Amino acid sequence: MKSTCCHRHDLALTRREALLKSGGGLGAMALAWLLDRDGALAAAASAGSPSTGINPLAPKQPHFSPKAKCVISLFMQGGPSQMDTFDPKPELTKLDGKPLPASFKSEDLKLQFMSAAGATLMGSPFPFKKHGQSGLEISDLFPNLSRFADELAVIRSCYHESFIHGPALSLMHSGNLLLGHPSVGSWVVSGLGCESDSLPAFMVMTDGVIRGSSSAYSSGFLPAVYQGTLIRTEGAAIQNLAPPPQITPPQQRTLIDQIGKWNQSHLASREDDTNLAARIANYELAFRMQAAAPDLIDVSQEPKAILEAYGTDKEPTARFGRMCLLARRMVERGVRFVELYGNDWDGHGDCPGNHKGNADKTDKPIAALLADLDERGLLDSTLVLWSGEFGRTPIMQGNKGRDHNPYGFTAWLAGGGVQGGKAIGATDEFGFRAVDDKVHVHDLHATMLTLLGLDHEKLTYLFEGRMRRLTDVGGQNDLAERLVKS
Amino acid sequence: MIARRVFFGLALAICWLAAPQLGLAGEPTSEAVEHFENQVRPLLAAKCWKCHGREKQKASLRLDSAASVATGGDSGPAVVPGNPDQSPMILAVRYSDDPKMPPEGKLSDAEIATLTTWVKQGALWPKYPDSDSPGDEQAIAALLKAAPAGERDTLWAFRPVRDPQPPTLKSRPEPKSVVDYFILAKIEELGLSCAPPADKHTLVRRAYFDLVGLPPPPEEVDKFVGDTAPDAFAKLVDKLLASPQYGERWGRHWLDVARYADSGGYETDMYFRNAWRYRDYVVKSFNDDKPYNRFVQEQIAADEIWPDDLSLAGSYVMAKEKLEHLEARIGTGLYTLGPQIHESNMDAKKLDYERMTDWADTTGSVFLGLTLGCARCHDHKFDPISQRDYYGLQAVFAGSREVELPLVNGMEIADFKQFYPRIVAIDEARRAYRLFEKTAAGRKLTPEEEQQKQTLRDKIAAAVLELPEAAASSPGDRFDGLMEIPAASVLGHVDGPLVPAVHILNRGDLDRPKKKASPEIPTVLREATGYRDSLGGPTTSRKQFALWLTSPDHPLTARVMTNRIWQWHFGSGIVATSNDFGKMGLAPSHPELLDWLSKRFVEQGWSIKQMHRLIMLSDAYQRASAYHDPNNLAKDADNRYLWRMNRRRLEAEALWDFVHSTAGTINLKIGGRPIVPQLADDEMSALREPWQWTVSADPKDHTRRGLYILVRRNFRFPMFEVFDSPVNSVSSPRRDVTIVAPQTLWSLNNRRAFRQAQEFAGRLVREAGGDPGACVGRGWAIALGRAPSETEKADALQLLETLAANAGSAAPLENPPADLAKLPPERAAALAKLCLAIFNLNEFMFVD
Repeated sequence: MKSTCCHRHDLALTRREALLKSGGGLGAMALAWLLDRDGALAAAASAGSPSTGINPLAPKQPHFSPKAKCVISLFMQGGPSQMDTFDPKPELTKLDGKPLPASFKSEDLKLQFMSAAGATLMGSPFPFKKHGQSGLEISDLFPNLSRFADELAVIRSCYHESFIHGPALSLMHSGNLLLGHPSVGSWVVSGLGCESDSLPAFMVMTDGVIRGSSSAYSSGFLPAVYQGTLIRTEGAAIQNLAPPPQITPPQQRTLIDQIGKWNQSHLASREDDTNLAARIANYELAFRMQAAAPDLIDVSQEPKAILEAYGTDKEPTARFGRMCLLARRMVERGVRFVELYGNDWDGHGDCPGNHKGNADKTDKPIAALLADLDERGLLDSTLVLWSGEFGRTPIMQGNKGRDHNPYGFTAWLAGGGVQGGKAIGATDEFGFRAVDDKVHVHDLHATMLTLLGLDHEKLTYLFEGRMRRLTDVGGQNDLAERLVKS
Repeated sequence: MIARRVFFGLALAICWLAAPQLGLAGEPTSEAVEHFENQVRPLLAAKCWKCHGREKQKASLRLDSAASVATGGDSGPAVVPGNPDQSPMILAVRYSDDPKMPPEGKLSDAEIATLTTWVKQGALWPKYPDSDSPGDEQAIAALLKAAPAGERDTLWAFRPVRDPQPPTLKSRPEPKSVVDYFILAKIEELGLSCAPPADKHTLVRRAYFDLVGLPPPPEEVDKFVGDTAPDAFAKLVDKLLASPQYGERWGRHWLDVARYADSGGYETDMYFRNAWRYRDYVVKSFNDDKPYNRFVQEQIAADEIWPDDLSLAGSYVMAKEKLEHLEARIGTGLYTLGPQIHESNMDAKKLDYERMTDWADTTGSVFLGLTLGCARCHDHKFDPISQRDYYGLQAVFAGSREVELPLVNGMEIADFKQFYPRIVAIDEARRAYRLFEKTAAGRKLTPEEEQQKQTLRDKIAAAVLELPEAAASSPGDRFDGLMEIPAASVLGHVDGPLVPAVHILNRGDLDRPKKKASPEIPTVLREATGYRDSLGGPTTSRKQFALWLTSPDHPLTARVMTNRIWQWHFGSGIVATSNDFGKMGLAPSHPELLDWLSKRFVEQGWSIKQMHRLIMLSDAYQRASAYHDPNNLAKDADNRYLWRMNRRRLEAEALWDFVHSTAGTINLKIGGRPIVPQLADDEMSALREPWQWTVSADPKDHTRRGLYILVRRNFRFPMFEVFDSPVNSVSSPRRDVTIVAPQTLWSLNNRRAFRQAQEFAGRLVREAGGDPGACVGRGWAIALGRAPSETEKADALQLLETLAANAGSAAPLENPPADLAKLPPERAAALAKLCLAIFNLNEFMFVD
């Protein structure tokens, strides 16, 4: 175990990183790299070192043999209740309507809208059943997903330090309460690059408002090239993707060729400037992207059965179903990290009603995604994560609501070499606090990186005088080892 | 106590630098630190601290800090550094003699080996979770006095600024500037060759973009190229420094450092309605060439240094001095525009802590060029900054609070009260409308009722239009927004009894306070500057701190700013890590030059404009960038030693300004509320709520300089984001330069870019007439500051022909500018597309 929060590292890497950011002074090899991303040079690159080339998104070798190659994160924004989904609490059900026992220590449980002491317990109205060969317990909210119980590794003991949406969202994504830190997707892409040469490496979709907006998928202090790209699932997927209607495709080609010619002659007396060369090369990439992105979101060629399975044909699944289908199409095309925001699980008023609605929107699409990935042989190499920014309280807010709860909540992993059909860790008898085999968000991030073949202690970046990590000084756990299929 | 102090001193030496003169082992390797942190400390924590730690001290022994290990317990020190066989602790864990520790069972062989190795290597204890003690002044003073040890003097930035003699050169002709002696000496030493001087076309373009962030008008290019006087360039520099656009360009640099934004970020992204006044203050300060020491003093402590009730005495017109104080105080706005979590307002303690963390860290990065944040959780591992130092700096701000300061005189505030019924009238009109809504809820309205509804709505609008837009006393002074009193968000103070206590926090955890901290200058800096005074209480500590910081012989203040100025001219600083002059930063490439310049900076009254002259009139600044020498590239590929000029891509705002300047649409109005340009739908998708992007009503505002566009922490202006604008959560010392496809997509496809290309085309017709050849010539002159070559001209004319002939299914231009519409439509469209192509040239985006 290493704890390398601020050790002085070899500044060579840092210097190269700095060069990447400043764009200065890289050799001619860089251009070769950019133009021949699948060549021998690419194979030599290792994780986290965008250094030997100026194309920071060229695929890189992980630190060690990976279980998963890419990630689909299903982010259930607002904070789903663990007691109503994947963490059965019979004791809570038994004491439904009774006050939280005085013997239950709650002084440290700060909540947004209420105080825990003396509050009323609220059992889940959703019965839990055992599913699959493993007998994993899942509530009736997810009839479709339940069929995949043997694929899910449910972590019931997640926790972190913020009971407020904004900072909690930030924690779940960047491991840090404060703004300005890179999202896990940005770290992964900085470490592994991207297999696609015509689509963004880190793509984000949402069916509603993202709290904190772009800070959730920000590259923070990493170079901006690792920023997530929020795409629209219909129409113009990416900003500035289509030429103005006044410029026909052949005209655009004519323009690009002429621009290229002029830029080449400008380059002639500046031949060692790789920034100039990179910009020239980027016209071809942009040209490819103009075709690849519309193709990505054009699902008209998908078989009817697939569209129906995802529920893209009818409400309430149409929107999230389309997002899940697009996630599969992205992974197929080599996109490294896909994040989907499902909104909005913030059940302060009527938690059961809220959760029923959200489950109805997402259950079928998520089940279809797992099935579809499996069918195409992609599930083993695709790590699927389901989580929110926190869980909810076992005590009642108002008469049917639940408040935010970062002290104990549930996330699950599937695919990516993860052995399903098991539950890790536990909360207390009511589901308030993680008590057994606790998994901090740093541990969760470390686990994800490990499954992707990245050493979370080596994936570092010098910023403000410190070698920064996604996992800060944490993440020392063996969860990844315990999760993988033997 | 003596043992403790000595040990602390030794430990400091171990930690921070090689100090053989103190008779110690050299700098700990990172392996040694890792060994301790990864193996020794966890082992001590697991096996020893239960009985020899904070809770219990059996046999009076604690093993949880360097000092306690050295002091030992009833039977003396627990370890003898370097000698495990004589260390009681090692003997105990070996179970070789009594006492046998830990009593519940012998450690594994591996664990014993871990401790033995640790003691053998000197019992290094690299950090101090309990160190609320002061850094040992004597030890630090000794280190600062000692000759720099080893190859790299990591304390260089804390040592006095010297005034070195320019080096003697071997073989060079007399260079233009003293600056060049330092640069050429390095170039000689490394055997590099120098690029020739840049041609005059290149130089004028470089100076314009550098100083004002705008392209030189073609006539100015011609004038400069034709001016053969030896001081032609000096005159050009003076002219640009006198331009009001200079402050906008250089102010924008400072705003990066100041982490400027108009909103707080996080979920709700609270709007800071007065932040722009700080932005305007910065622009004006640069334009006024405000002495940098004054600029620093104002931002940290204007209210304490120039206390003034700023009220009025018998006149509508504020006294000049009062206005100056008012302006100075807006400088403290720096501390009001950091990231803020909306919900932290539920918890005063948390809010205070988050603010003071932002304030201390920002102060460190911006003014000291030091990253202090590490010391929030533990003593800084690399720089001599302890936790106590860090919280001492937070305590400087403990008595301070953000307050809103009216910027108008008392009469105008009274006017506001006079007019207040106008606001009540709006509210009543809205209430009337709501009442109607209630009575009509859930049913179809009759035509009369529809009419009534419309009338009620109109009354709201009428009431809004009735609001006075200026105070009656001074009609020239407009109210802000809907009759708000113009105000600035600045620093003030809380009442004495309410000043919160600042504690040193265990691991930076608010719930684990340790000793109380009082306002203090970090020990190493106090020693470096020989500062012996107290910073005083909560209403004077910022003043004392700011005065100390701006004393002429301060080792950091002038160096840090000199280096920033150098960086903004050359693209890279003499210290490349311009926010980190500590050990984790990079060593200066030209330490003597940095000191020489810093001395001149202070000597010349901290004048930033004088620094521009000093730097820009050197040969180093005026070299060509297009210069290829394989030998140089092999030895110094990064051009750290400035054998040529660095070529630079324009920053986001500069590119925005350039595109609009070229198009002739740029609106050079200065200052005021942030402007919000219209965005296309696809650019809006990342915005949380459409109303957070309320578009400015006047289209002329949409083409103002990029500096004035609303800076939301949660929604960076899409074009700026694509072109690497900073994230603004903490001080940003330097812009990234990435080269990615979305930038290309912007230049090729963005609707605004194409609209501006049409405006550019219209301008060409207006200025050059309809002849294609003349348009091409004028286009090159405006956008690239030079005439096109014969090939370029032929290519451009051919392109126009091809585009006009192959219009195919292209849509006609939408509402083209009047001058462009004078051409036949297919010619007009072709010219606009050629103009778009010009925006896409590397020569357009990069400055040689």
